[in-house]
Amino acid sequence: MYGPTRALSGVDLELGAGLVTVIEGPNGAGKSTLLEILSLLSRPTRGTLRFGKHDAWRERQQLRGTLGVLAHAAMLYPDLTGRENLALFARMYGIAERRIGELGERFEATGFWDRPTRTYSRGQLQRVALARALLHEPRLILLDEPSTGLDVRATERLVEAVVVERARGAIVVLVTHDLPLSERLADRRVRLLRGRLEEQAA
Amino acid sequence: MKLAAAAWLVFQKDLRIELRTGEILITTGFFALLVTILTSLSFYLDDVIARRVAPGVLWISIAFSGVLAMGRSFQRERDHDAMRGLLLSPLPRPGIYLGKALGIFAFLVLVELMLVPCLAVLYHLDLSPVLGQITLITLLGTLGFSAAGALFAAMGVRVRTKELVLSVVLFPLVSPALLAGVVATREVLAGASLSEVFDWVRVLLAFDLVFLVLGALLFGPLTSE
Repeated sequence: MYGPTRALSGVDLELGAGLVTVIEGPNGAGKSTLLEILSLLSRPTRGTLRFGKHDAWRERQQLRGTLGVLAHAAMLYPDLTGRENLALFARMYGIAERRIGELGERFEATGFWDRPTRTYSRGQLQRVALARALLHEPRLILLDEPSTGLDVRATERLVEAVVVERARGAIVVLVTHDLPLSERLADRRVRLLRGRLEEQAA
Repeated sequence: MKLAAAAWLVFQKDLRIELRTGEILITTGFFALLVTILTSLSFYLDDVIARRVAPGVLWISIAFSGVLAMGRSFQRERDHDAMRGLLLSPLPRPGIYLGKALGIFAFLVLVELMLVPCLAVLYHLDLSPVLGQITLITLLGTLGFSAAGALFAAMGVRVRTKELVLSVVLFPLVSPALLAGVVATREVLAGASLSEVFDWVRVLLAFDLVFLVLGALLFGPLTSE
């Protein structure tokens, strides 16, 4: 429930390791609510959320370190540089600084990441936000419209990154209206319509 | 990550941003200075009146500067939805809260380091015999104000009526700390010893403790979940 509105209803979804699940659906279908629940920021009014054998909500504090989330907003501090933002998140997750360099190279962000992020274009911001989401090699990766603002080259880097994460065994959930991206990456496609889930042909 | 380490990390982040932009210190510092100068021009008649007015000016400056500092500190968390990044991380929620409260406290103390000497000059106060008492009362009052403010400013991150939350909810709630601060400062300036104002100091200590504990416990449920 989202206030008096039933945002999701009867959603039964099992996400597999090493698989990319694409969630499609029109605006207002409940995709953001589903991601909010999967990212352990909102508690479902009813039902259960399990992560392996764990009750995800009850053990949310321990599980948070295993989630990587890319949302509409970049979740970066505008007055810090891209590199400083990544270093801050690396410290939060207890990650070695070396990993920052790897992701900076992967998303070709090293050329601009010493500027404050408030000076970035939408695409540059998205590249650093992607690096932030993948910094700690999360087991569950939630990507909400990850190709927003990315040029063709950066989108290729995104596809490569998702392929690498999938091969590593991560569970990837991709919410996108970008059909070519969906077709390239999806192992499974589901569609949310008025809060209900329908399986699509992969 | 441990609570203290998380609080320190959030505090360091706020400090780094403030050292780079200077926004909070400049805006709150100028505001506090302006209040002190304007009230000194308006209320200063003689040294006796000045001693009675000065405590009110000090705490009004701290209260309004504090609201400015809190608003700006949490606006940084709203930009690009950065607070969500903190909430998604494994940092313990109480640690995030304590880090934010510590940052606001530190910025206000820096403003007070400029404000108190200005007040002494403009109101002809000789603070040297009571400097220890004034420092203790000011630090305790500022800590309580920061602890309560960080909690309510955090609530404002996810609601549209953030300014309303701060002004309507915060001021009535921090009134015990402000009243205790004003009265204790007034008594000390009138020559009372620390033991004579110890009841007010205890009120400040209790307020600090209650809001630090409440803030640490409620920050998580109020910002998400």
